[in-house]
Amino acid sequence: MKLNICHLYGDRMSIYGDDGNITTLIKRCQWRGIETKVSLVSVGERIDPKKFDFYFFGGGQDQQQVTVSNDLKNQNSKLLAAAVENGAVILAICGGYQLIGHYYLSQESKKLQGAGILNVHTVASKKRMIGNILLQINKQLVISCHQSAKLVGFENHSGQTFLGSGVQPLGKVEVGFGNNGEDKTEGAWQNNVFGCYLHGPVLPKNPHFADFLIRKSLEKNYGKVELKPLDDQIEWAAHFSSLSRARQTK
Amino acid sequence: MDPLLFIAIFSAKFLKIVIKLSKRGGGTAAPGLLALKIYPRLIENLSLKLEDGSVVISGTNGKTTTSRIISSILNEAKIAVIHNRSGSNLERGIASTLIDHTGLTGKIKSKIGLFEVDEAVLPSAIAKIKPKIVILTNLFRDQLDRYGEVDKTRRLWKEALEKLPPTTTVILNTDDPGIAHLGHYLKTKVVYFGIEDETFGQKELFRSADTKYCATCSTPLTYELVFASHLGKYTCKTCQSERPKPQVWAAKIKLLGIEKSEVIVRAQKERFNLNFSAGGLYNIYNILAAVAAAKALEIDKRVITGGVEKFKTVFGRIEKFQIQGRKILMFLVKNPTGFNEVIRTIFETTDKKNVLISINDLLADGRDVSWLWDVDFEKLDGKVKNMVTCGIRAKDMSLRLKYAEIDGVTVTEKIKEAIEKIFDQTKKAEEIYFLPTYTAMLETRKILTKMSNAKRFWED
Repeated sequence: MKLNICHLYGDRMSIYGDDGNITTLIKRCQWRGIETKVSLVSVGERIDPKKFDFYFFGGGQDQQQVTVSNDLKNQNSKLLAAAVENGAVILAICGGYQLIGHYYLSQESKKLQGAGILNVHTVASKKRMIGNILLQINKQLVISCHQSAKLVGFENHSGQTFLGSGVQPLGKVEVGFGNNGEDKTEGAWQNNVFGCYLHGPVLPKNPHFADFLIRKSLEKNYGKVELKPLDDQIEWAAHFSSLSRARQTK
Repeated sequence: MDPLLFIAIFSAKFLKIVIKLSKRGGGTAAPGLLALKIYPRLIENLSLKLEDGSVVISGTNGKTTTSRIISSILNEAKIAVIHNRSGSNLERGIASTLIDHTGLTGKIKSKIGLFEVDEAVLPSAIAKIKPKIVILTNLFRDQLDRYGEVDKTRRLWKEALEKLPPTTTVILNTDDPGIAHLGHYLKTKVVYFGIEDETFGQKELFRSADTKYCATCSTPLTYELVFASHLGKYTCKTCQSERPKPQVWAAKIKLLGIEKSEVIVRAQKERFNLNFSAGGLYNIYNILAAVAAAKALEIDKRVITGGVEKFKTVFGRIEKFQIQGRKILMFLVKNPTGFNEVIRTIFETTDKKNVLISINDLLADGRDVSWLWDVDFEKLDGKVKNMVTCGIRAKDMSLRLKYAEIDGVTVTEKIKEAIEKIFDQTKKAEEIYFLPTYTAMLETRKILTKMSNAKRFWED
């Protein structure tokens, strides 16, 4: 089997160790004998919606988000929507999460256009939502496993994201702020599109989420897929120690 | 003197005595905090009394070492200097330092102030101290959970620097594109420093590179050479903006292990042959910044050379202990770029190393440990003999190492246990490298001090 990964705007949108998510996908495939190929698609380049099974879209700093937003308008929003239509899976974190929604409204009331493939929008706030975050995974998603039904990470954003219709939260916040610090939701998903505020990075210490995404992406081409179990002792040790750290620093 | 100022100074001095008597620390922060509560304009008022003005140093890495090299040069020049030496670089630390050198009558004996300042505090420190010289070493992602983002910090710096008068000298690292471009906006004198010796450059950017876009047109920069993270020789192919030519530069560099380097520094037509008691390419930048400052203070060439040579390694940056026959070398790690540089310095030679990494996530370390994924641990492959991880985030660290395919890592949260483990795994006369984050370093130091009776840091 082979997994084609697109690191969307990876040279511009990558902070807080986000690249660790790509490393995790590569290694967890490699350890199972699944081939991977990672391609960067950046500003000025067009997405080939047939080529990729998985898209990773990380966080970035303000100026880069403006550039990326402008580039998305130039066809890539539509091409990304076509990719989703084809069954590709998308994970977007923080700035990337905001940019796959409809828009980001800045403090000066400037609208930064997003790809609009997830029915959410984000409004800038004065409050910075920083800290460890812990959530109970939405039961409608088959992410949880016998080890854990939680996701753990670190959030750092001032944008408040609000979910529209047809979109479900990724989970319910137990510790931290989540999407907007108000409604106890965190992250969003709609079909194969997933967005959230979890850094850490999120995938290494949430191996159930990593495998869920790998499985879903492979199923685009290979029908129902069963992943070979890995020895995840070190992953779970980090997961549970981060989990108790989140509770301690609440 | 303003009676309120007198009360502020008096109370701070009294508190410091109490702290010292109770052996609860060095009193490098709390007295200043108290004095600022009583007299908020204390820093403005006292720093004004420094006859030769002040030098302010900020940046993610190299603040402490750079200011200590300058301090060493000033000592050599016999200029009385006050310096917030213990890395207490928030306003309270600056206030404490000023108070320490002020008599109860409000007189300051020293002539010049040397202040290393936290990145987030720089704008207010500049406004209050009105420095004669400002040095910016570099700007990397550090404790982003505290500072917000790198771009934002840079914007706040720019706004603060733009207000400085033409009499000020601003010294900038030209190899850091995000720092160098600040020079275009200033009314002040601007001096650039950088590395011209190309021996140590590599072709690709490091994993931790942040400022890889042009500050003018925000397209990706083209790097001819990269020295560290996003530091190097760069141009923008889109808007043709370039790395400014340095007035102070390293013409020839020799890195001779962890404890020695030699560098030929050129400042226009002058040439300095400098011997330095620490290795690491990052220290070359610190030397360049210090030489540029000393030149701006019109210090004689021979004095500068002597001052650089007499510099002693900074607390925590590299410390040495000899315990149970083992040689321990401790390096502070606090951000990806710093960690990458430490890796480069330690693993320069091919023999396999014993390493203990301790990662804490307290406020002073940064709560977020995501940054561990921006460090190139992949470079340790095949170079590790024994490895132990410890600290509050020991398990995050071992997970990072797993994905870098480093096997055989021992994990234990307690630092004391970790030290015992690495001692068990090693024999007498072996070297062990300790790589702790800030608070882990304080704890490690306490344990090692008990084992070997080393000095406490605030006494140095």
